[in-house]
Amino acid sequence: MAFSLEDRREKPTPKINDLIRQKLITKEQALDWLRSIYEIRFFEDKVYDLLGQNIIKGASHLYAGQEAVAVGACAAITKGDVIGSTHRGHGHCGAIGNKYAQTEDERQMHWNRMMAELMGKETGYCKGRGGSMHIADVKHGNLGSTGIVGGNIPPAVGAAYAEKYKKSGAVVLSFFGDGATNTGAFHEAMNMASVLDVPLVAIIENNLYGMSVPFSGSPVEGAGCAANIENAAERAAAYGVPAMIVDGQDAVAVFLAVNDAVEHARAHNEMTIIECKTYRWYGHSRSDPRVYRTKEEEKAWKERDPIVVLSNKLLDEKLASQEELDAIRARAEKTIEQATQFAMDSPWPRPEELSKDVYVEESYPADVLAKDKDNAKKAMVATRAYESLLKTLEGKTKKEIADKAKERIKSEYGMTVLAMKDAIVQAQAEEMRRDPNVYIEGEDVGIYGGAYGATKGLLEEFGKERVIDTPISEAAIVGAAVGAALRGLRPIAEIMYVDFMPICLDQLMHNGAFNRYMFGGHANVPMVVRTEGGVGRCIAAHHSKSLEPWLVNVPGLSVVMPSTPYDAKGLLKAAIRSDNPVVFIEHKATYGQMGAAPLDDYIIPLGAADVKREGSDVTLVSYSRQVMFCLAAAEELAAQHGINAEVIDLRTIKPMDIKTVAESVRKTGRLVTVAESFCMCGTGPEIVRQLFGYTFENGRTGFDYLDAAPVMMAAADVPPPMSEPLENASIPTPDKIVAAVRALL
Amino acid sequence: MAREVKLPKLGQTMEEGTIVNTLVKIGDKVSRGDVLFEVETDKATLEVESPADGFVKAILVENGETLPVNTPILILGEENETVEIETRPSGKPAAAPAKPDAGKSAAKVHTPPPSEAAETPGPTTRVVRMPKLGQTMEEGTIVTILVQVGDEVKKSDVLFEVETDKATLEVESPADGCVKAILIDVGQTVPVNEPLLVLADRDEQVPQRFITALVHEGTAPAETVPEHVTAEEHAAAAPETMPSSPPPKPTAPMEPAERLFATPRAKLIAQELGIDLRGVTPANAIRIVEADVRRAAQSAQKAAPPVTAAQYTLGQKIPLNRLQRIVAEKMLWSKQNIPCFYLNIRADVTELVALRAKLNKTAPVKLSFNDFILRALAIGMQHYPIMTGQLDGDFIRLAASLDFGLAISTEQGLVAPIVRNCGTKSVYDIAAYCKELIERTRSGKLSLDDLEGGCITVSNLGGFGIESFIPIVVPGQTSILGVGAIIDTVVPSDGNLLVRKLMTLTLSVNHKVVNGAEAAQFLDFVKKQLEHPDTLLD
Ligand SMILES: Cc1ncc(C[n+]2csc(CCOP(=O)(O)OP(=O)(O)O)c2C)c(N)n1
Ligand SMILES: [Mg+2]
Repeated sequence: MAFSLEDRREKPTPKINDLIRQKLITKEQALDWLRSIYEIRFFEDKVYDLLGQNIIKGASHLYAGQEAVAVGACAAITKGDVIGSTHRGHGHCGAIGNKYAQTEDERQMHWNRMMAELMGKETGYCKGRGGSMHIADVKHGNLGSTGIVGGNIPPAVGAAYAEKYKKSGAVVLSFFGDGATNTGAFHEAMNMASVLDVPLVAIIENNLYGMSVPFSGSPVEGAGCAANIENAAERAAAYGVPAMIVDGQDAVAVFLAVNDAVEHARAHNEMTIIECKTYRWYGHSRSDPRVYRTKEEEKAWKERDPIVVLSNKLLDEKLASQEELDAIRARAEKTIEQATQFAMDSPWPRPEELSKDVYVEESYPADVLAKDKDNAKKAMVATRAYESLLKTLEGKTKKEIADKAKERIKSEYGMTVLAMKDAIVQAQAEEMRRDPNVYIEGEDVGIYGGAYGATKGLLEEFGKERVIDTPISEAAIVGAAVGAALRGLRPIAEIMYVDFMPICLDQLMHNGAFNRYMFGGHANVPMVVRTEGGVGRCIAAHHSKSLEPWLVNVPGLSVVMPSTPYDAKGLLKAAIRSDNPVVFIEHKATYGQMGAAPLDDYIIPLGAADVKREGSDVTLVSYSRQVMFCLAAAEELAAQHGINAEVIDLRTIKPMDIKTVAESVRKTGRLVTVAESFCMCGTGPEIVRQLFGYTFENGRTGFDYLDAAPVMMAAADVPPPMSEPLENASIPTPDKIVAAVRALL
Repeated sequence: MAREVKLPKLGQTMEEGTIVNTLVKIGDKVSRGDVLFEVETDKATLEVESPADGFVKAILVENGETLPVNTPILILGEENETVEIETRPSGKPAAAPAKPDAGKSAAKVHTPPPSEAAETPGPTTRVVRMPKLGQTMEEGTIVTILVQVGDEVKKSDVLFEVETDKATLEVESPADGCVKAILIDVGQTVPVNEPLLVLADRDEQVPQRFITALVHEGTAPAETVPEHVTAEEHAAAAPETMPSSPPPKPTAPMEPAERLFATPRAKLIAQELGIDLRGVTPANAIRIVEADVRRAAQSAQKAAPPVTAAQYTLGQKIPLNRLQRIVAEKMLWSKQNIPCFYLNIRADVTELVALRAKLNKTAPVKLSFNDFILRALAIGMQHYPIMTGQLDGDFIRLAASLDFGLAISTEQGLVAPIVRNCGTKSVYDIAAYCKELIERTRSGKLSLDDLEGGCITVSNLGGFGIESFIPIVVPGQTSILGVGAIIDTVVPSDGNLLVRKLMTLTLSVNHKVVNGAEAAQFLDFVKKQLEHPDTLLD
């Protein structure tokens, strides 16, 4: 694969009759293209009217003028192929829906559901949760449309990888605008797609403007310029991939270009970039006065209306009479009128169902929960026993002593003793053996074995197909995982440091976490983002944060933070099996931490806290490494101060097992939360918020049982400093926990 | 001729001083050399003496204020001289700025409202002063103010609740009238006869100057004049706060609006245990927590003694309450002035225990051991009246009636109210009286009468498991009986060993009045009464 740029506008477009003769298409299909174009056009005109009447509310970026792109491109793919759409997505949704409609009724229903979605009705494609900007029928191979410019390109790469991995033969069309080619997501995605060799066709709909800014300048006084090139397709040179430029007003030209690219993708798993030169009839949105472009320019483009272009071809090539074309037009108009009526008559979504479909509801069998309770206790005891054996056993080397101790734990407790790091490796390996859809992608996860060794040995066992070293492209890593998950794989994406999360937060939140809800509950995004955080290695503010409060603030995400090898392994396995997107955050200071775990296959339910120490005087709630600090503090409190602290390890921050916390506070009356993330709006305040809202069987709330104001310990409101004493000063430590508890009692 | 007294330089290095004590008040006659103030410097506490004879016209500082040397602190003048005072310190820019309020209130007090010239009040104006509500009362602390400026009151309406060292009492209105000014504030301790409130007919104007003068008559330094020390005229200046008809009286006028701070859990536990949080004292002095409520519940359960150890923390500084201050004074006086001897005896109360249990099954008022003991003492005193004696010059005066004190622990501290006329009361009468007395004590409703007189006090620490202890005689009384716990004891009897219930009695006796032999016989008599309790029922 190499860069080439073919401007197909320079050569005449083949005749439709040629295509029919070559059996590329049928005459009926060609007529149906016109029908689809008309349907999209009438749909957009109607939406424009309804926006004016305030019957449709919110944003609507209209596709009128660009119909030949969606219709021509979708004509080039078959059922089972995949598309990714944008904020200007009615055309894509309309065209792909027509493709799947088997009967006239189904076709009518398709437009009904589109119009209902724009009106925010329960009968819409996304049950009114998505609306204009997120309209998609994900069941029919649509990855969805996104409100974030460029945001849907990385998922298209992951989806393409999934089709390649599954050897489905399917290709992915990714639509996006000229403006999107200036985003980092575009660059990361194109680059990653080019190195992953995936069946992807990237379709740039260059309508000359990104909102008001011309892609490559304009004669209008005061207008800006978004790029220093005329053709966005020239950017393919940066990725070493072939590119084409086509007349986006000519459905036939678009069809042919996409058809070639799709064939190439199917045959060679190689991507192509196609730039379609096109124009939107309306402004960017309804409120746009279009001062950045001239009336002459608009007039010139409208002369090349895709309806006119295709109609003339059909007439010229004697494929249809004017009457037939008029009939097509009338039928399309009627379809949209009926769709409008359907949408108007449709019910609103019910507010009681507001929270439905944020998550795939998951539950665990009672025996799994019970087994975890047993195992967790046993693992604690066995880990203690192991630690004391290390002190008492004799041997020539530390390793010899450790091996002896492990043997003893195995024979006495039936448990293995392993490091956190190995627990994580084992969890992934076991799940990859169990489910071929599980794969790993991330920076340095392959030959290097992960920056913290958490994927060591996996490349050897599972090969490059399943353990993928990616470019340093966090947004593309997470975005690709979303796309692959939407297409049925179970990706584990490693982000080296949680500090890098803000770079990919758009992908994680808007696509990973929100897709299911935005698309009316029709999408599943079963992915895991593994990352690590926390202070402890003196690597300062860009590599030491704990950002879980940012992540729990995202509806749709689960956030897991283990404190022991036992927990890490069981939780990671459960996270991989979960149908929801899970962020799994390890602590950088715990990779070497040893602990006991069962020998057999086990999972730990997400959303179940573990009482790691029972007590009566005060409840310490924590997670991750700070649990170890709390346990140390609890021992000191008991030994030195006669205070019996209960230590709860949340393990999963979201969903939070507030019941376990509340029951404990009911007993002790005092709550201290201990987290390593920043204090403001942190996990502690969230625990307290949920505690206050927790209602017991007697109608009392968690608030009622408090005998003192809760104490929320967290990291100081400073960027984590490098210097070790400062680093320690910035977070809760056992001595500070002891002091806080003593002050409370 | 008025003259300013300035803060003197009392030592080589002295630059400033803190007023720790103001020993005079406005209107006092002082002589040259009299101590006016105690002043603390970084080195020592020193005295500021009056530089001349005269009358105190104004005090320009308040306790706790730190002032540079040479700051005017007091004004002396002739008895009838009116002294105009400017806000200090005038023309002394070098002096450290005085506390702004100090200057302000000095000005407020001394500058009459422009429209007001007359100082003499009208014919219906009456000043209500702190009454002497008991023989020994010298001062009282205002606990509640039940009226507001503008209120119409009738003669004998209660105006204030006042706490003395003995009890909480009510100050009634001496006449009908309209409240024109209230001169004190809740929490203030006011000597007997000091002005509290000004009454007058609704239509009668009371000059602000008159009120101001009354305030200064009081001990309160100008700066501590309560916020609401206002005359009607002042209130009238703000029309919306002073309608022509008297403002509606709030349903709970001036209730000490102290918010009760308790944790949710404390409230919940209190609800479950039926504890009134208003009676619960927080150990940390900030808010009531579960432990406080549980403690209160426990003490409520224990019939007697009611108080468990208060929760103090080591290193804490506990403010001395009034009651404890009085206890301290009295006990010290007793130790210094009453030469005691001490007698011990053990009474076999096996029968008494059985009898009491039997009677209490049906008794309308439950009988306590103390009731029997008081009865036994009464019978004993009738046989040994010398035990009621008090030294009175060359005489020993015997009590006219058998009034006995009963030591009761309360939240505030120790009180020993008097059970009157024990000589004429049956054990049931005593029980009923004591029950009611204990209730009044705990709810702070004792009258001064309840606290005066008595010839002996019973102090029972048996409930704490104390076997015997030596109590201190209450000043004015002859003796005090310390009652210990009832303890199962093996006792030899006719060659057998019996388990009997024994109780140790310890009598501290004022040797000025009674000698050992008499007291011993008395105590032995009392013991026998207790050992044959049937006689106590007569
Ligand atoms: C990340 C991001 N930045 C800005 C916007 C606001 N916005 C919405 S559409 C748009 C223009 C996008 O231009 P282009 O990609 O060419 O698509 P077109 O609207 O022309 O179809 C802009 C700036 C956005 N939604 N997302
Ligand atoms: Mg554009």
